Amino acid sequence: MIRSSSPVNEFVLRTLQKAVVCSCIALGVAGSSSHLIQKKAGIERSDPYSPVPIFAEVADQFGLDFKHYNGTTGQFYLPEIMGSGAALLDYDNDGDLDVFIVQGSVLDPKKEPGNTLFPWRDSGPPRGRLYRNDLVVGRDGSRKLKFTDVTEKSGIRATGYGMGVAVGDINNDGWPDIYICNLGSNQMFLNNGDGTFSDVTQKTHTDDTRWSTSAAFFDYDRDGWLDLILVNYVDFSVSNSPTCYANTSARDYCGPRAFRPVGNRLFHNKRDGTFEDVTVAAGISKEFGRGLGVVAADFNGDGWIDFYVANDGDPNQLWINQKNGTFKNEALLAGAAVNRDGQAEAGMGVDAGDFDGNGTEDIFVTHLMEETNTLYVNFGNGVFEDRTREANLALPSARFTGFGTLWFDYDNDGWLDLLVTNGAVRLLEDPTRNNDGNPLAQPNQLFHNTGKGSFIDVSKEAGQAFNQLLVGRGATFGDIDNDGDTDVLISNNNGPARLFLNQVGNRNHWLGLRLVGDKVKRDMLGARVEIRIPKEKTLWRRVRTDGGYCSSQDPRVLAGLGASSGVETVRVHWPSGKVEEWKDPPVDRYLTLKEGASPEIK
Amino acid sequence: MNTCLQQLVLVLAFVGMLVIRGDSLHAGPAQSDVLPPPRSGLMPVHQPKLDELEPSVREQLISFQNSLAAQTKDPAATDLKLSEGYGLMGQVYQAYSLTSPARECYLNAHHLAPKDFRWVYLLGNLSQQEGRIEEAVSYYTLARGLRPDYLAALVNLGNLYLQQNRLDESRSSFREALALNAHCAAARYGLGQVALSTRNYAEAVEHLEQALADAPEANRIHYALGMAYRGLGNIEKAQSHLQQQGPVGIRVADPLVDGLQELIRGERLHLVRGRMAFDARRFLEAADEFRKAIAANPASAAARVNLGSALAQTGDVKGAIEQYQQAIRIDPSSGSAHYDLGLLLAKQNQHNQAIVHLQSALGLNPNDVEARFVLAQELLKAGRAEESLAEFSRVVESEPENEEALLEQVKLLFKKHEYKQAIQSLEKANGRFPQKGQTAALLAYLLASSPQYDLRDGKRALALAKAVYQATGLVNHGALVAMALAELGRCGEAAEWQRRMIAAAEREGTRDIVEKLKTDLRRYENSQQCRPLGDISTSPVRD
Repeated sequence: MIRSSSPVNEFVLRTLQKAVVCSCIALGVAGSSSHLIQKKAGIERSDPYSPVPIFAEVADQFGLDFKHYNGTTGQFYLPEIMGSGAALLDYDNDGDLDVFIVQGSVLDPKKEPGNTLFPWRDSGPPRGRLYRNDLVVGRDGSRKLKFTDVTEKSGIRATGYGMGVAVGDINNDGWPDIYICNLGSNQMFLNNGDGTFSDVTQKTHTDDTRWSTSAAFFDYDRDGWLDLILVNYVDFSVSNSPTCYANTSARDYCGPRAFRPVGNRLFHNKRDGTFEDVTVAAGISKEFGRGLGVVAADFNGDGWIDFYVANDGDPNQLWINQKNGTFKNEALLAGAAVNRDGQAEAGMGVDAGDFDGNGTEDIFVTHLMEETNTLYVNFGNGVFEDRTREANLALPSARFTGFGTLWFDYDNDGWLDLLVTNGAVRLLEDPTRNNDGNPLAQPNQLFHNTGKGSFIDVSKEAGQAFNQLLVGRGATFGDIDNDGDTDVLISNNNGPARLFLNQVGNRNHWLGLRLVGDKVKRDMLGARVEIRIPKEKTLWRRVRTDGGYCSSQDPRVLAGLGASSGVETVRVHWPSGKVEEWKDPPVDRYLTLKEGASPEIK
Repeated sequence: MNTCLQQLVLVLAFVGMLVIRGDSLHAGPAQSDVLPPPRSGLMPVHQPKLDELEPSVREQLISFQNSLAAQTKDPAATDLKLSEGYGLMGQVYQAYSLTSPARECYLNAHHLAPKDFRWVYLLGNLSQQEGRIEEAVSYYTLARGLRPDYLAALVNLGNLYLQQNRLDESRSSFREALALNAHCAAARYGLGQVALSTRNYAEAVEHLEQALADAPEANRIHYALGMAYRGLGNIEKAQSHLQQQGPVGIRVADPLVDGLQELIRGERLHLVRGRMAFDARRFLEAADEFRKAIAANPASAAARVNLGSALAQTGDVKGAIEQYQQAIRIDPSSGSAHYDLGLLLAKQNQHNQAIVHLQSALGLNPNDVEARFVLAQELLKAGRAEESLAEFSRVVESEPENEEALLEQVKLLFKKHEYKQAIQSLEKANGRFPQKGQTAALLAYLLASSPQYDLRDGKRALALAKAVYQATGLVNHGALVAMALAELGRCGEAAEWQRRMIAAAEREGTRDIVEKLKTDLRRYENSQQCRPLGDISTSPVRD
């Protein structure tokens, strides 16, 4: 159901029936001004001040029953341990986030899904699944989540060996479309606006038969239409998969270097329902590695969107938009290709965000155990320095293999924190020896941004389920219960998807923004938002669905305001280059800002 | 089933899979899971699962385990003797990255002989490998107290402090190391990294330049130097160093840890280590590991193929050929031996011999597209054009994205005057991969200049040529536009384009191209003979 928007003052306020903002209970919190406490989805808290875990895991409770299937045969095929991702998107435009989770399949053509080491038991083949969110918000602000599996009805038939997913509105009709990255042919699903999707892969010319992992929608030429950057990994096939050994001499999974890298692909939206492959013309065909993650953002602050590719074992690439349809890889001199030691690391997930509040996009990349995750701090003009150690992010990551990640402000204090999903890619010694755990399983990690350029590992405070050992891969972030804080869905390889509801974020003030176009109602991916808080700092956030590992995010901006109960101005830097400003917006609610609705700032 | 239980079942199944797939060969008696401590203060050693290990490794481990078990049962064994037994067992475990039992052994050895530097140092090393940084610092600190002259302990400590961002302590450790050896490049590099951390770029440059002078082969230093010069604003020098940066890192000699490698038995681990060295372009080291693999298993064809590859990289072609040939003698069905030998012979311009081995490789695996592609090239070089065309066509069929094969196929078709097939092949590829520039360029060229006039399509040639030229800006692609215009009879425009291209070529200083362009220009200026002649040798595709 499409909801109507009505202009109120400078804002276009979205009537979010499910995002109740008026019935919140305003309570004082020691040491701060009035904070908002809301009842979490289906979880009653008798004492809002008692120490509660940051997250509550609720997937099973609300019908999110997805289990990842990787088709393991005992042949140690690399793809088995790489998938998969997930997406949060409002496919039915009803104001709450629905869930799409990518599924694996069998690799060996001689095998059936029911005839593998962990046999597929469900009816029908393994396939990516779409869950509709039927969130109900009570008059008292209580929230009840319920997920309904609508895959069959939606027409999404994603039965390939899935890896990643990207979401963007490719035809500017206001309905988000879905692109699925597979090992084998990819799939573009056009949202018909009636709860169904059509497979338009061939019609749009967006297929790629190689091993695709992540993709990102962004408007690189500022024509108002979303283009697509697709990242590919290696040339794996069952027939070319070599036998590899661990240092123990036992058989193990091969690393990526056992396979040739394959190139990435850039698709330009031709505005007629088709895309043109401009990989060569854009200049990105000459340099590529074994790509796993991609994020698009304006890294050098020139108003044009660039993109960054995280490669597994090869130098990463920072493709700077030359404003003429071409890109130039400037990663090496920019200081963002390799770590401070000059080593190309095993880049998995990647995200960009302004963690230090200087108005530039900093990059965080997750890596293999024995390496560390890496923080590339942007000093402006796209000049980066590896400051992982200084930020206290090196040591906590040395023992884990990181995949999914994102900059997000879990406690709404105005500083971007980090979450990392972990899971090894080589059999871990201890679980194998003791038979007491999944041989690839590792705990997730949550890092709190101190606001002083460093982070603290607060994983222990994130709840028991968060610390459970699983093989974490993709993670998707968004306010799934519309209560003003960011929730997380984690996709685990050969395991259950986990939905972590944020229990603490909306104790602080917040501002939720949906940024839509002038003539089209789609989310304006790539728009940057400058939020000025009185007597405080300025927050820089961007509208995006990309980032992380093989996953797609809530396109809305959710800015934590800390104890500040007001915002001076919200200035939007639209992808078109226009800048507009809104004054004194109400907080602790979601607003829709429409391009062209406010006076332009020259 | 609840989720936790389900996970456990999955895990057990997975581990079970490992066991089921295990070799049935067992060397020696079945081992109990735990070696109990023989006296108080010691800890039990949890034995690793050996089922999946290479038989020779398993035998070795069981032999050491039995020996240690016997020592622990000997009431006359002194603390010193027992500590040696545990220590040696720990070293063997560590050599195979079995870190948990290695740790237990070292802890016992350390308990029995607390003044023995080796066990505490190796505990530090294990902790460092596992990312237990604080633990590693504690052990190394203890080790430094026992042996202040052990250089690697100081450098490792410096690096660990650096990881912890304890810059003053890091600096002190590196300086202590330099006091022991003024040319310790690893310590000098560490000081450079400390300086980079504090953004003292001038000091960083000083240390890093010295480190590079002490270890010029360590090309990864160039990266840090590049960043330091960038910090100083010297972009030219920064770029110069960044261009020289590579994968070879710097490490301090560590006799104790390096010696663990001597304990490795069997073929597999040497293959793994050799492969790692090969990937890091340390070919001599790789060759050494592959030789050890051969020593462990002289009948290993894989080890010989890998040794051949490493030798080829070091320039020892004769040695490489010998290894490949031996591999083929051991295992005539080794496709990679035939392929690699064929490739090497091809590089030596021994085309006919190369063809024999490449055909053998394809006989073993007809789906080996790489081998087929090289075979096609070799057949062409050997003057066997017809066979070459057949092979290139097969490559294009199974790997449509292989543009190089397509271009060769088209050229051969063209030489055979099979213009229609050439254009059809290009059209098919262009339809599938419109982004491939050389395909589009060659198609434009043939559509503008095919000797078979009825195949020409000037309009389409012009559209293709313009798109390619727009993307590349290359003179020869610009000349294609002129050629297409000429085919359309737009001779004046063609001449105008050609003049622009001639001017561009003159600016670039490409004389040979200028002459060719001028020849064509004369034809365009003579509107009676404006249409292109069509000659594959003048194709815009560069070899």
